[in-house]
Parts: sequence; structure tokens; C-alpha cells
Amino acid sequence: MIFTNPMFWFALLGIGVALLFVGKKMNLLNNTAYAALVSVVIVVAYFHLVDHYLMEMQGLDYWYLFRK
Amino acid sequence: MGRQHGKKIWSIMALSAVIAFLLLPVATSLNALAGGGGETPPAPVAKAEGDKKGEAKVEKGRDVYYKTEGIVSGAPAPKTVDGPKDYPRYNFESRVLLWFANQQHLYYGSFVLAVPIFCMIIEFMGVVTKDKAMAKKYDQLAYDFVKISLTAYSLTAILGGILIFTFLTLYPAFFGYLSSIFRPVMHIYALMFVAESGTLYIYYYGWDKMKEGLLKWIHLSMSVILNVIGTVLMMLANSWIGFMMSPAGVDEQGRFLGNIWHVIHTALWNPLNVHRILGNMAFGGGVVAAYAAYRFLSAKTDEERAHYDWMGYIAMAIAVAFLIPLPFAGYWLMREVYAYRQQMGITLMGGLLAWLFIIQATMIGILFLSTNYYLWQALGRMRGAEKYQRYIKYLVFVLVVGFLVFITPHTIVMTPAELKAMGGQQHPVLGNYGVMSAKNGGINVIITTTVLSFIWYMRGNKEPMVPWKNFGNIFMGAFFGMAYVNIIWLAIYGYYIPANVRVGLSVPQVASTLSCLFFMTALNGVMLKGAKQMGPIEWGKISARSQYAIIMLATAFTWMMGLMGYIRSSVRLFWHVNEIMRDNSPWAYTHTVGFAANMISFNVLFFWISILFVFFLATLGAKKAPVEAKAHAPGRVPEPAHGH
Repeated sequence: MIFTNPMFWFALLGIGVALLFVGKKMNLLNNTAYAALVSVVIVVAYFHLVDHYLMEMQGLDYWYLFRK
Repeated sequence: MGRQHGKKIWSIMALSAVIAFLLLPVATSLNALAGGGGETPPAPVAKAEGDKKGEAKVEKGRDVYYKTEGIVSGAPAPKTVDGPKDYPRYNFESRVLLWFANQQHLYYGSFVLAVPIFCMIIEFMGVVTKDKAMAKKYDQLAYDFVKISLTAYSLTAILGGILIFTFLTLYPAFFGYLSSIFRPVMHIYALMFVAESGTLYIYYYGWDKMKEGLLKWIHLSMSVILNVIGTVLMMLANSWIGFMMSPAGVDEQGRFLGNIWHVIHTALWNPLNVHRILGNMAFGGGVVAAYAAYRFLSAKTDEERAHYDWMGYIAMAIAVAFLIPLPFAGYWLMREVYAYRQQMGITLMGGLLAWLFIIQATMIGILFLSTNYYLWQALGRMRGAEKYQRYIKYLVFVLVVGFLVFITPHTIVMTPAELKAMGGQQHPVLGNYGVMSAKNGGINVIITTTVLSFIWYMRGNKEPMVPWKNFGNIFMGAFFGMAYVNIIWLAIYGYYIPANVRVGLSVPQVASTLSCLFFMTALNGVMLKGAKQMGPIEWGKISARSQYAIIMLATAFTWMMGLMGYIRSSVRLFWHVNEIMRDNSPWAYTHTVGFAANMISFNVLFFWISILFVFFLATLGAKKAPVEAKAHAPGRVPEPAHGH
């Protein structure tokens, strides 16, 4: 499953950050729908990376249930 | 000019003397530490003589914790028997007397260690701030803090003396053994104490003489020295309790093996140090905030009310800043306890003492509820903060749900009939909330909500003016929302995976909370740069209820400290020094929860009555300040701070 790979979440985070810069350049950040979309993409990716790597640091698999 | 120059020279000389005095114990103990002890081990001498005679006799032992070999340099732990020799007594339970003396010393010790740290921070803020009026106010506040701690310092010393006499009188065999183990550093402790007293008195009495320029920086640096000494003192005291819980540096008979660092640096020493520093700061902040609340409630003028409202706010902010990471430090300590002896951890959290942890959870919940309540009340003194008032009910709901999950026990004490009616020891629904997975979720939700309340308070009377404020607000909302989702998701996820994987989920849960704390506070700070002020903070215009919330917070903290101290000490069960020296007194049993709670309550009551006396003493010398303030600004309510 692709979402068990941290690269997927890094890519999503990258997309979120890219959208942030695009929005800044095109003055879209004050558009509520656009701002909400960018925010959700960034925070969802961020918290998944936090979960993944902090479990990995302890030698544990965050995706245990999804791999079994 | 010449007089000023002379003052500088004297100040530098005084500071040098203090530093030299501080370094003296280190210098004198270098040899001792290099030798691993403070005494010449008799064994090598014996060896030298033995070599001559061709019969080498060096007795070696194996460290019970580090598993290294060392030359036996001390006597074994005494095997005590119940009688007047090892346990002399009055017609009273000796353990209770010792408990009282220990707890009171610890309360005051924590207070006087914490308050100079606040003074250092606040004095530094006063020195670096460009607003001269604010600088003066910060300086006055720091001075007020140290004034309170000075009387408390004398009481700490008196209580320390009482504690030693109690040990010597009631537990001579145990105290003799502990002293023999820590002999190489005992004199360092004593000298540190003298150095701290000297530094504190120079720091306090030199305040007016060293209030400007270089002299002020020297004065400030003295507070750094004071706090270094205080922290070292605390860490040395922690090494004794660390040794009692998780001994190291001795063999299985309790004989010292010549390496004092092993004795100090036990398995639980560092977690205890971190936990105690944070705990002392939160406790000290709470007590000072309670002092300010007491002064606020008894104030006769608006000026006084404004000053003590501000003082309470600063002290409360410091307390909360250290309260938030405290549960994580506690978690680390418990994790290390489990790593050291699993059985000890089970006794604490899943066995004999588990119910006390439910009480602890209740107290932690009360601390956070009081903090949030204070912040919501404080919104009332800001114009423009009304916009948040209508959302408070949702925060109350989230906090209460988190609190209820956090305090739900796994199993409860029941009669056979109740047990039968419920179909087992565990409630079919509520019992599910009695596990760590749910509790970690509960407490992290509570802390995240507290962070949110604090951010609302920070922007209460401000309107962000940055061009990207819409995005900033939405991002902040999304971040908090996702943090809640992640915390709750991890709590639920824990029910579906094995225990060895589940135990790791607490780390990302904590990281979610801390992410909110650090990133969102920083983002909020950036957004509020150049923000539009809706109106000034009207210091002193806060409900009396908020001040009772502060007093409740301080009292709950005192009670919890007493409780946790009891739990930590009781986990040794029938050992003076875990697995090394057995407690053979008639009181080597665990008290009932009810008795322990009464004893803790008595200690709390005694502490608060005595600290009220300290507060009263502090008011005797503070009558002048409001009069002066009145003279400078007649008829105007001062505003100590417009920012946070």
C-alpha cells in the first residue's frame, strides 16, 4: 500500500508547500477554500510523518495493522 | 565618579569571592572524585602489605547496576532488627514523623529553588527591555519574588535541620549507612548550601546598590550563580532518593565499591532531576501566583489590584509553561522505572499503588481545568476578547471529556453483589477507558486544549494585520484540528495492535501536542507582530473567581506533589534501599489510600498555613510601594504591561 511509504507523505507535504508558494504568488492565500485546501494537505502530511518516524525511531512499525 | 568606580570594584571582588567560594568544594573534592571516593580505600594498602608477605588480599565486588568490578571500600548495609538500637522511637509511628519532616522540607526547598529562577528570568527581561517603565516594573517584580523567598529560605534551612535530627533520632542505622555511602560528596552538599546562602543574601541585599550599568549585569550574573548552586544541590539530594530506589555503585551486600559517580548516577537520577526541576518551577510559580492572588483579594486600591493581577499573571504563565511538559517528564520517569525493574512499574501503575495514580490523574485534570478557567476569566479584562467567549463552551466540553477518560479506572473495588451485577471487575463500556491508550489520548487532548486557550488569550485584544492573516488563521485551525484527530486516532489505534507496538504510540501523541505548543505559539507570535490593539489590558479588572482558580491551582499542585512523593517513596515497599537494605521497622508496610490521603492533606494544610505566615511577613515591608505609585500617577490605574 502506497500510503505506508513515508515518501508518499513527503510528496504530499512537498505538494502542499508548493501550493503555498503558488498561492502566495497568485494572491490566492486569502481565498478561504484555497487556504483550507493547502492547510489540510500540509497538516495531514506532517502528522503522518510525525507518526511514522517517531515510531520508527523506537524500532516500531506505525503501519503494523495495515501491513498484517 | 570615584565612588561609582569603587562600587564597581567592590562588586567585582564580591562576585569573584562568590565564584571562588563556589569552586572551593569542587577543588577540594577533585582528589576524592579522581580516586572515586573521598577516602583512601583500605584494600590497596592491604594489598601492598600483602604483596610484601606474598599473600595478596584484595576483595572485589560487582556493581549491582553497572555490573562492573570494584574494590570493596565500605561496610555492608546493616541488617537491622526491630528494637531501640536500630529503630528508636517515641510513642508514635516514626515513619509518619519522618514523612512530615521530609515533606515540609521538600515543599520549602522546591519553592526556594524555583523562585530564584523566576527572579533571574524576570530581572533579565527588565535588563534587556527597551521600555524604561516596563524595565522598572520587571525589576520590582523580581525583587518582590526574591523577598518572598528569603523568609522561606530560612524556613527551609530550619526544616532541613529538623529532618536530619529526625533521621538521626528515629532511623540511625539507615541514616548512618546512607551517610557512609555518600560521604565523598556530603561536604560538597554542605558547602554548596553555605555558598547558596551567601549568594542569596548578597543578591538580595545588593539589589539597590547594583541597579545600573555593569553593576546590574554583575547582579544578574549572581542570580545565574545562585541558580547553578541551587540546581546542583537539588541534583545531589535527588541522588540519595535515586540510590534508595535504584541503587548502583555498591555490591549486592551494599558495600561501596569506590566509584562515587556510579552511586550518584543511578538509573533513575536523570529522569528524577528533570521531573523535579519542572515540578519545582510549576510549584513555585503556583505558590507565587497564589501569593499575588491573596494580595489581589485583600487589596484596598485599584493600583494594588492592578499590580497583583499582573504579578499573578506572570507567575501563572511561568507555572503553566513548566506544567505543560511535566506530564511528559513524568512519563519518561515511569518508563525508566519500568526499564529498571518491571515489577516496580507494575506495583506503581498496575498494582498496589495504582489507585493513587487515579487520584493523581484527577489532580492533573484539576490543574489543567483551573488553568483554562483562569485564562478564560482573564479574557474578561481585554476589550475585543468577547469574540472568543462564545466558543469557550466547546472547550469546556472537550476538556471534560478528556478529563473523564483520563480519570476512569481500569477496575474498581466492589462488593461481590456489585461484581455479579456488572458481570466482572471491568465495566463493559467504561472499563475500556481505563487503559493507557485512552488515558494518553485524554491527557494530550487536555494539554492541547490548554495551548489553544493560551493562544486565544494571547490574541484576546489584538487583531492580526499581516497580509496573509486569513491563511494563518485557517492553517492554525487546521493544525489544531488535525492534532486532535491524530491524538484521538492514535488512542483508538492502540486498541487494535499488540502491546509492544502500542506502547510506542504515546511518543507521536506527545509530539502532536508539543507541535501545537511550539509551532502554533510561534506562528501566533509572528501573526501578532504589528497587530492592531482593540484596547489595553485592564489590569486589576478581573473577576475574584479567577484568583480563587489560581489558589486552587496552587493547592492542587501542593497536594499532588505530596501524593507523588508518597507514591515514589512507597514503591520501595519493605526496603530502605531497594534490594540492598531491608526495612525491619514495624512500619514497613503500605498505608491504606485513606490514611495516605489524610496525611498528604495534613502536610498541605501545614504548608499553606506556614506559607501564609511567610506572605504576611512579606507584606510588612511592602507598605510603601502603592503610596509611591499613587504619588506618581494620581487617580490613574497603572497598566503594568500592554503586551504579554
